[in-house]
Amino acid sequence: MMDVGAERDVNDAPVVAARGVVKRFGDLTAVDGVDLQIRPGTCYALLGPNGAGKSTLSRIIGGVSPCDDGDVHVFGMDPWEHQVEVKTRLGVVPQEDGLDEELDVLRNLHVYGLFFGLRGVAFRERAAQLLEFMELSGRETTRVVALSGGMRRRLSIARGLLSDPEMMILDEPTTGLDPQVRHAIWAALRRLRARGLTSLLTTHYMEEAAQLADTVGILHRGRLVAEDAPDALIREHLPAHVVETEIAGGAAHGSGRTTERPSRDACDASDASAADAPEGALVERYGDRLFVFHDDRETLLAWAAQHGGGRTLARAASLEDVFLKLTGRSLDA
Amino acid sequence: MRDAGYTPPRHGPPPPPSVAMRLFSVWMRHARVYADSLFANATPAVLEPLLLLLAVGVGVGRYISAEFNGLPYREFMAAGILGMTALYTAAFEATHATFVRLRYQRAYDSMLNSPITPRDVFLGELLWCATKGLFYTTIVAVVLAVAGAVSSGWIVLAPVAGFVTALAFGGLGFLVTSVVSNISQFQFFFTAGLTPMVFFSGLMFPVQELPTPLREIAFATPMFHVIETFRLLTSGPAHASASWTWVSPFVVLLTALVLGSWGVRRMERRLVR
Repeated sequence: MMDVGAERDVNDAPVVAARGVVKRFGDLTAVDGVDLQIRPGTCYALLGPNGAGKSTLSRIIGGVSPCDDGDVHVFGMDPWEHQVEVKTRLGVVPQEDGLDEELDVLRNLHVYGLFFGLRGVAFRERAAQLLEFMELSGRETTRVVALSGGMRRRLSIARGLLSDPEMMILDEPTTGLDPQVRHAIWAALRRLRARGLTSLLTTHYMEEAAQLADTVGILHRGRLVAEDAPDALIREHLPAHVVETEIAGGAAHGSGRTTERPSRDACDASDASAADAPEGALVERYGDRLFVFHDDRETLLAWAAQHGGGRTLARAASLEDVFLKLTGRSLDA
Repeated sequence: MRDAGYTPPRHGPPPPPSVAMRLFSVWMRHARVYADSLFANATPAVLEPLLLLLAVGVGVGRYISAEFNGLPYREFMAAGILGMTALYTAAFEATHATFVRLRYQRAYDSMLNSPITPRDVFLGELLWCATKGLFYTTIVAVVLAVAGAVSSGWIVLAPVAGFVTALAFGGLGFLVTSVVSNISQFQFFFTAGLTPMVFFSGLMFPVQELPTPLREIAFATPMFHVIETFRLLTSGPAHASASWTWVSPFVVLLTALVLGSWGVRRMERRLVR
């Protein structure tokens, strides 16, 4: 993936190597035969709709949950069998942070540091550094209840970094945060990656994956349906450009359909605008929007000028388009 | 696959924390959160047994001229009050408080993301229960001694008895918590389980005077043995409810070991998904 030079070569074995991982909850198969590898110093983003199995898979890798089948190695060890050793070397930022509301910022870190056996001067130095890094200096004695959502999440990340982990697992690190905070957190995570920290990120924000990840794995119904670098994923699955427009005649009835021009007979009467799409275009719909993909931007713009109705937007194809194409458009996906 | 050949960074991975360190850290988390609002936490727990002593032991006791197990009523009640303090402290901690941590605070999830194992979580929790039992029993024992409701020097062992009693009922609380799906279900455990056991185990009256089947049932409850043990400490063996009373401390210890380890195992299974 990334050429990190000779120094890394001895360390090039994957930090995480999973093969055929299966996890069931009763009748539900949450993770259904996933293979993945995470190379040292890279960020792997697991992308998927809610319920796709992202959190379950990250809990298995994090040594919190045993898998029912397949094998997982983290730092060369089974994370469930060797959970103390593995978890000592991991830093986890969970979706529900589990901070102690009534304790202040520093005490929260102190309590968590003790779980790793970190205390005394070593703890105090590390805590001070991390509070500075996450821009929480001066908040040491503020109770967690009094922190804003953004500060809370930054504290949760600082807590995850407390043990100086070799790898971080971040479960939806910016969900529910405003754009300023989100960008600040992304900047912090990029700085960590620049220092060689390996990370596993689960998210349903495409932009987050595009901004942070070296490799994106798209998880759908417990299976990994695609895996590559963000740009490569877009190139593999879609033409470079897209025009979004409103569907003539209102909302489509069947959402989640992909139509490739000239398979004209696949379109029903209300799909007039889809049928008019330029030669070689890929047409998709969801809700009342029509998405026409094409490699040639000029062709698309010309088509849009003629057929585009309502709010029409021309842009480059994105990871979100790939995601929607692969995981389907309906909400029960 | 080259996974087995993974080489850690140059400074080497940190040593994983020992079991003792892990249990201490879990205990410390609870102690921190508790100490943060010590007054609000400890006041009702200590006040309740003392109110019972005042209202019943002193208030009602004034009208009771008879001796119970050869003791004035106030002193008779002291053992039950100590036992009840340890029991309710531990039972509450292992049910409501544990459930809140499990479901609402997500405190255990945070621990599991660190080197803490599911077993560490509940062993540490049980140690914390027992510590609270020790702490409250000690305070109540001191107050009882000052109030003249204690006549034996063995009372110095009350903290130990409080610790072991809390282990037993903490374990019992865990067994209940491991099957409960809704926090209000604990009411059944308290009102249908613990309350009758406390009242028919020698807190208010000597159980050996109950009619035959009830008496045997009372002898079989762990709480009877807890109160007998405490009575050995407050007043000495001459005031026991049964001639075989020396068995009671061992019954309490055995109960603590069995219920404690069973409860921890059940909770572990609940936590691991």
